[in-house]
Amino acid sequence: MIADAATSLDAASTHGYLLVLAIVVPVGGVLIATAVGGRTAERTAFAVIAAGLILGFAILLDVWMTSRPLAYVLGNWAAPLGITLRADGISAVMLVTTALIIAATALYACADFTIPRDGLEARAPFVFWVLLLAVWAALNTVFLSGDLFNLYVALELLTFAAVPLVALSGRAEAITAALRYLLFALAGSIFYLLGVALLYGAYGTLDIILLHQRIRPELAVSLAVAMMTAGLLAKTALFPLHFWLPPAHAGAPPAASAILSALVVKGSFFLIIRIWFDVLPGSRSLAAAQVLGVMGAAAILFGSIVAFRQARLKLLIAYSTVAQIGYLFLLFPLVVGFEGSPWSATAWTGGWIQLVSHAFAKAAMFMAAGLIAQALGHDRIDDLGGVARALPLTVLAFAISGISLMGVPPSGGFVAKWLMLSASVEEGQWWWAVTVVAGGLIAGAYVIRVMTRMLGPRLELPTLSVKVDRWRQSLPLSLAICAMLLGLLPLQSLELLQVGLPHFLGSAGR
Amino acid sequence: MTDATIVLSSALALPGVLLLLCLFPSVRARMPKFAVIAPVPALAAAWFAGRDPSIVFATHFFQGHLALDVAGALLLAAAAILWICAGLYAATEMRRSRNAGNFSAWWLTAMLGNFGVVMSADIASFYLFLAAGTIGAYGMIMHTMTPDARRASVTYIGFALAGEASILIGLVLLAAASPGHSLLIRDAVAGLSPSPWRDLTVAFLALGFGLKIGLAPLHIWMPLAYTAAPISAAAVLSGAAVKAGVIGLIRFMPFDAGSVNVGTGLAMAGIVSTFYGVAVGITRANPKTILACSSISQMGVIATLIGVGLATANAGVAIAAAFYGAHHVLVKGGLFLAAGIGVSDRRNRWLVFVPATVLAFALAGLPFTGGYLAKEAVKPFIGEGAFAIFAALSAAGTTLLMLFFVTRLGSASHDPRGTPTASGLLVPWLATAFFAIAIPWLSLSLTDAIPISEVNSIADLWSAIWPILIGGGLVALWLNQKRQPREIDVASAADIIRRMMTICTSTVERAEAILRQWQAGSISLLAVTTVLIVIIATGR
Amino acid sequence: MTSATLFGLCGAILIGLGLFELITDPHPLRKILGFNLLGGGVFLVLGVVARRGAAAGYLGDPVPQALVITGIVVAFSATALAVALVVRLSEVSGRVSLAYASSEQTDSDGAEG
Repeated sequence: MIADAATSLDAASTHGYLLVLAIVVPVGGVLIATAVGGRTAERTAFAVIAAGLILGFAILLDVWMTSRPLAYVLGNWAAPLGITLRADGISAVMLVTTALIIAATALYACADFTIPRDGLEARAPFVFWVLLLAVWAALNTVFLSGDLFNLYVALELLTFAAVPLVALSGRAEAITAALRYLLFALAGSIFYLLGVALLYGAYGTLDIILLHQRIRPELAVSLAVAMMTAGLLAKTALFPLHFWLPPAHAGAPPAASAILSALVVKGSFFLIIRIWFDVLPGSRSLAAAQVLGVMGAAAILFGSIVAFRQARLKLLIAYSTVAQIGYLFLLFPLVVGFEGSPWSATAWTGGWIQLVSHAFAKAAMFMAAGLIAQALGHDRIDDLGGVARALPLTVLAFAISGISLMGVPPSGGFVAKWLMLSASVEEGQWWWAVTVVAGGLIAGAYVIRVMTRMLGPRLELPTLSVKVDRWRQSLPLSLAICAMLLGLLPLQSLELLQVGLPHFLGSAGR
Repeated sequence: MTDATIVLSSALALPGVLLLLCLFPSVRARMPKFAVIAPVPALAAAWFAGRDPSIVFATHFFQGHLALDVAGALLLAAAAILWICAGLYAATEMRRSRNAGNFSAWWLTAMLGNFGVVMSADIASFYLFLAAGTIGAYGMIMHTMTPDARRASVTYIGFALAGEASILIGLVLLAAASPGHSLLIRDAVAGLSPSPWRDLTVAFLALGFGLKIGLAPLHIWMPLAYTAAPISAAAVLSGAAVKAGVIGLIRFMPFDAGSVNVGTGLAMAGIVSTFYGVAVGITRANPKTILACSSISQMGVIATLIGVGLATANAGVAIAAAFYGAHHVLVKGGLFLAAGIGVSDRRNRWLVFVPATVLAFALAGLPFTGGYLAKEAVKPFIGEGAFAIFAALSAAGTTLLMLFFVTRLGSASHDPRGTPTASGLLVPWLATAFFAIAIPWLSLSLTDAIPISEVNSIADLWSAIWPILIGGGLVALWLNQKRQPREIDVASAADIIRRMMTICTSTVERAEAILRQWQAGSISLLAVTTVLIVIIATGR
Repeated sequence: MTSATLFGLCGAILIGLGLFELITDPHPLRKILGFNLLGGGVFLVLGVVARRGAAAGYLGDPVPQALVITGIVVAFSATALAVALVVRLSEVSGRVSLAYASSEQTDSDGAEG
């Protein structure tokens, strides 16, 4: 825990090298793929994915078994000048989630982005494989880094890797969406950088643990935290800063949309959590947490309603992402200000289970929508009749993901919803409970709308433009089932998610 | 492994395994036949549990707890019998249907949900099976894929989700008040008495379960759903699946502590439903719609019963409600099956009409039928004193409605399919009719947990008969009158809701069109930054 | 007013100008320039931080200078990426703007290239 920082600064863990490998392996993959090109790009990607899966699970196991965070000091240069890599409970969970989703996406993208055998590269496949690894490297760095400027670099790497993925199709709308995304994300990261500058100016260090010890409530800190939060909110697309997300995620190829919605937006959210709960000292601004909660609630209601009105399936799913991101920000008013009560741990667990189950469900949904669009040649919701007969596994995957988004048992979404409802009811903040329930109802509306169309009849079976393999349909199904399996978690707070966090979270978080 | 574990688990395991087997297309195509035996372990479970109410019949699996008490055993037994008979009916009905396999998948899901809801002893499993039942019902209603069916299924699931949202809030409040944060229903409800949120919790739960049983004015989905669904689906939905709400009311209402406000409200809504169902039903032409309106009426009676029990803190209503509900399961299910049998063939007319008439009278409480026993069970709570009038009027109204139904049954071909009557349809119908009349007597002799005295005085018999006579007279009057009644269009209420939703959502969409401009977004960024700066700086 | 304060004010002005340009000017190239102004302002602030944090005998704290160099590289790559997108957009559609095409919300072509 943070109070042991003095010792943890020096003592890197025995298996700290795993953290370095988790970052270096994807980066090495990027370099090799770029340098050699051709079919090696794809093969390198799969080799890296295999290695990355093993590394992710190894780190998770270590953190789980020892109940202590993993740490590694780069180059043995201690803070305040050196950079520490640190894996606590939430980092480990995010590492594994990322590894699994990227693995599934890579398998899914095999068919769309095959590099031809004769070695004449096409632009799109080559770029896709390289950028997939780059996104992964950036995400791992975001989850593991313990230095604020290192996190800035990781954040920028994430944006630069994600933006070309949006523009991959080469159509004018996609490029415009990518440009919009890039410019807004850059505005956000400049705000973040300004905050970093102010913090360094005030305290002379950017190491998270040291900052936590030195920080005092003063104007510079308020300015810095506000700017950093606002910048990161722009990158996380919280209402009303969400306008760039729907065209970007809907215009990207389905494999890229899956990665963007499931993982990329969660990277900046992870940073907001780091700043609020690891950098800031014990007392945080309650009012600001409520502001974040209000924006989250607005996102839930607004995003869900607009999703319901969409005519195109991929836009509906993108607006659904806008709504689901709102749930994550309900974590702030439920945890901040209730330190020491067990309900903050419940709310914390609920928020993270929501994040992970949404990642799986949304990735599955985008993949399923991609298969449907490919098979039918369009993604107009009103003309989806007959799809259930043609692509049954895909529709099943969509249905199971929808169940998780609606918060209906059995699913991770339900467990998260229940935990957040319990916490808000126990803490007396019943208005968040109303929002969560209302959001679930509206999500039900748009999921049922799509399902009714898909299950509906058609005069003749739709002619499939492209034959979709069975094993390719099983990929979104397996991700959706992962989201469903999260529903087996007990309806209480999870110890693993509190490893390495300050002990304000009520129960025994170390 | 104890007996309880084996029996209770297999009651859920068999439908579950069959559902998983539906993933394979070759098995799925033949599933309607296999689905007939799926409820058998549940029937066995009900048998074992009901035999000796002093034994606690429970088991648990990880965190899921299953248990059966007498009330649950009654409802489960009736439901299982109905699912078996309706399954036989469905096997014939679906013979010519293209996606019979898909229908079976939805069927098994609804069955799993129905059994699970009755057997659940902890909050999380209860909600899980409630959701499963809703999903299964949605699929079954939509089976024929006509625009009416799609509209009905969407309306159904809209109301069902709203009800489940209310139930969820109630469950969360219940769990919050539960001693030691135990998720067992028994513990949670017991912990409700000292809770400061008791009335609120009970109100949310009552509202949600009321929605699930079609209590007026939240009944709009029922006529639409039961008319649009295939016959066998309508039978199990109106018979067994709707009892999920009843079992919810039985399990979750704190009868020991009581709640005057919620109880009174529930009773009043129940009374309104009882008569509203009759009033709407006699204006309809389709027999399935009439049966749906009758369900509204009967569920109103159960709601009144539970409301009174809640207001007077009387725990005895639970068994009475279960008994009444169990009788209704078989009667309503049977009548739906009858509605689907073509009556063109002369011979079949008697086989359909006579038992249908008997069942119609049974529902009204004709002596020596099961219905009479059901009314007797209910009488100590809502048959005496001020409620005597209510009981008599409801019996008269039921007679009116059900005899009207029997007359509509014989009208011109109402079943668009017009299948020639096969024995595959007649046998399940007759079996259900038999069980509907026999089961109440059977259960009375098997277990002594039901407080009905078997000694019938002439006064009791007369008090049961005279409302039926009045009802019969009313039917004659109603049929004779020349004026065509204006059908109160239930669907238009759903349309009003839809139109309001469209207005709200299009306003939001227009707001989004403004917000997605670059200037709006980036100025929002500045605004958010400024707000955060001000709040964080002044907050410290 | 020390030079540090002067440079700090300069940085603030640059940030303001950059933000104004980024928000209000409709053409994406100008927005990119605005972003560069914004970045320049932040780097100036970092320079001020270096000046003020300097230890005795040194002109400036080296850490913020390292941050500035990294920041310049990042801003440079960002600009390059953004300009590449603008160029490509003008090649593909002839019209470079962040506004939504009227057909975009009802675009029926969901298949990706």
